[in-house]
Amino acid sequence: MPDFSLLMTHGVFHLFAALITLCSVLVVMSKHPVKSAVFLVVDLFLLAGLYATLDSHFVAAIQVLVYAGAIVVLFLFVIMLLNLQPEQLRGLKFSAVEAGTLVISLVGFLITVVATFKGDQTGLGDGSLDPVAIEAAGGNTYVVAMKLLTNYIWPFELASVLILMAIVAAVVIAKKDKKKTSAPIS
Amino acid sequence: MGLTADEFTIQFIATLVKFAIVAGLLLQIPPVMVWVERRVPAMMQRRKGPNRVGIFKWRIYGLMQSLADTIKLIFKEEVVPEGAQKAFYHLAPVFSVFPAFLIAMAIPYGPDIHAFGTTIPLSIIRVDVGFLFIFAVSSLAVYGVTIAGWASNNKYSLLGSLRASAQMISYEIPLGMSLIPIVLIYGTLDLNKIVEAQSHFWKWGVFLSPVSFLLFLIAMFAETNRAPFDLAEAEGELVAGFHTEYTSAKFAAFFLGEYVSMFVLSCLASTVFFGGWQVPFFSVQKLDDLTGFIGVSALIGHVTLMLKATFFMWLYIWVRWTIPRFRYDQLMSLGWKYMIPLGLVNVVVTAVVIAAFRFS
Repeated sequence: MPDFSLLMTHGVFHLFAALITLCSVLVVMSKHPVKSAVFLVVDLFLLAGLYATLDSHFVAAIQVLVYAGAIVVLFLFVIMLLNLQPEQLRGLKFSAVEAGTLVISLVGFLITVVATFKGDQTGLGDGSLDPVAIEAAGGNTYVVAMKLLTNYIWPFELASVLILMAIVAAVVIAKKDKKKTSAPIS
Repeated sequence: MGLTADEFTIQFIATLVKFAIVAGLLLQIPPVMVWVERRVPAMMQRRKGPNRVGIFKWRIYGLMQSLADTIKLIFKEEVVPEGAQKAFYHLAPVFSVFPAFLIAMAIPYGPDIHAFGTTIPLSIIRVDVGFLFIFAVSSLAVYGVTIAGWASNNKYSLLGSLRASAQMISYEIPLGMSLIPIVLIYGTLDLNKIVEAQSHFWKWGVFLSPVSFLLFLIAMFAETNRAPFDLAEAEGELVAGFHTEYTSAKFAAFFLGEYVSMFVLSCLASTVFFGGWQVPFFSVQKLDDLTGFIGVSALIGHVTLMLKATFFMWLYIWVRWTIPRFRYDQLMSLGWKYMIPLGLVNVVVTAVVIAAFRFS
C-alpha cells in the first residue's frame, strides 16, 4: 500500500514548482508592468504554498503577508500612478558608480549573512526536520521565535534600524525633488 | 503525515464534505443578506420594503426578491468599457472573491468530531498559525479593488479604488494589532486552541481584552468597506467607486466578495472574542457522551457560532443605517492617529500585565 499523503505531497510539489517556473518566466517576459506585478503576486503566493507542503506554515504565512500582501501592493500603486508606458522604461540605466555600489553592497550583505549564520543548528536538535520533530520542539512559531529573539536579537534589531534608514532616505530623496520642481512657482 | 491509508481516505472524504457545506453556506449569504439589508432599514424607517415577490400566492415576506435579483443580475447584458484592460478587467472579480473564500476555510466551525477511529477537525484547513494565515490571505483582498479600479479605464473607478485600497492597507494595521493581545493572553496562534481556551464564560476574549475588541470592531467595518467607512462607493462623489464599470454577473461577484468577507470577519470576531462554538456556562464537548450520538456536539457548536456571527452581520446593517459616512481625512486620522497608538498601548499594557502575573 503506498503512502497516499506522501504521494499527494509530491504531486502538489511538482504542480507548484511548474506553476512557479511558468509565472517567474511571465514576470520577466510581460511587456506591461502591471502584468509583471500581478504574476509576481501569484508567484509569491504559490511559493508560500511550496513552504506549506514543507510543513513550515509560519514561513508560508509570513511570505504571503509581507511580500504578496504589502510589498507588491506598493509596486502596483507606483506602477499605476506613474502609468509608465513600455517604451519609457527602456531608457532606465545605471551609471557605473551606482552599479558598482549595488554589487559591492549585495556581495557584502551575502558575506555578512553567511558569516553570521554559518554552522548554525536548526534549534530542533540533530538536524531532523520532519513534522513530528517540529511538533516536539514546540511548533514552527515557537522555534523561529526562540532563535530570532535570543540568539539573533542583535541582527534582528539592526535589520529594523536599516529599514528605518531606508524609509528616511526615501523621504529625503522625494522631498529634494519636490523643492526643485516647486521653486520656479514661488 | 503519518496517516494510514484508511485514515487518509476518511480525512479526504470528510474534507470534501466540509468543503461542500462551507461553500454552499457562503454562496447563500449574499441573497439572504440583500433581502435583510432591504427589509431591516425599511422596518427602521417605517417603510414596507420589498414584500411582493413570492411563489404563486405565497409571499413569504418578499424573500423571493433575492432570487429575482440574482436571476436579473446573471442575465443582464454585460458591457465592457472601451479602453479597458481586458484581461485584468475580467480577473478583478476573481481576485476579490478568492481571498474571502480562502479565509473562510480556516475558521473552526465547531468542536472536533471523534469518529471512525480518527479525529475530524471542523475547519477545512487546520494550521497551527491560523491567525497569520487569515491576515496573510486577507491582505490579498486589496488586489481585487485596486485592479478593478485601474482596469476599468474610468477616473471615478480609479479614485474609488485608490481610496478603498489606501483605507484597507491603513486599517489592516489596527486589525492586526488588536489581535496581538489575544495571542499574548492565550499563548497560541491556533484558532481552535483559542476557542478551547475560552471554555469558561469569563475567559472570553471580550472580557480579558475589551480594548482589543473595540479596535477590532472598528477595523472590521473599515476592512470590508462598509458604512460608516464606505468611502470607496460614496455615490455622491464617485458614482459607485471601483465597481462603477461592472455589470451583470461580475458586479454580483463583487457583492459576493463583500458579503462573504463580512461573514468571515463576523465569524472571526465571534471566534476570538465571544468563545466561538462554546456555549456559555455549558460544555459542548460533553454532549456526545450525554446523548450517545456522535456529532451532536459539533452540530450544537456550529449553530452557536452561526448565531453569534448572525449577530455581527445584523450589527453591520444596524450601524449602516445609524451612523453617517465619515469624511476621508477623518477616516485617515482616526486610523493613524487614534487607533494605531491605542493598539500599541494596548499591546504593551497587556504584555506588562501578563509578565507581572507570570513572574510574581
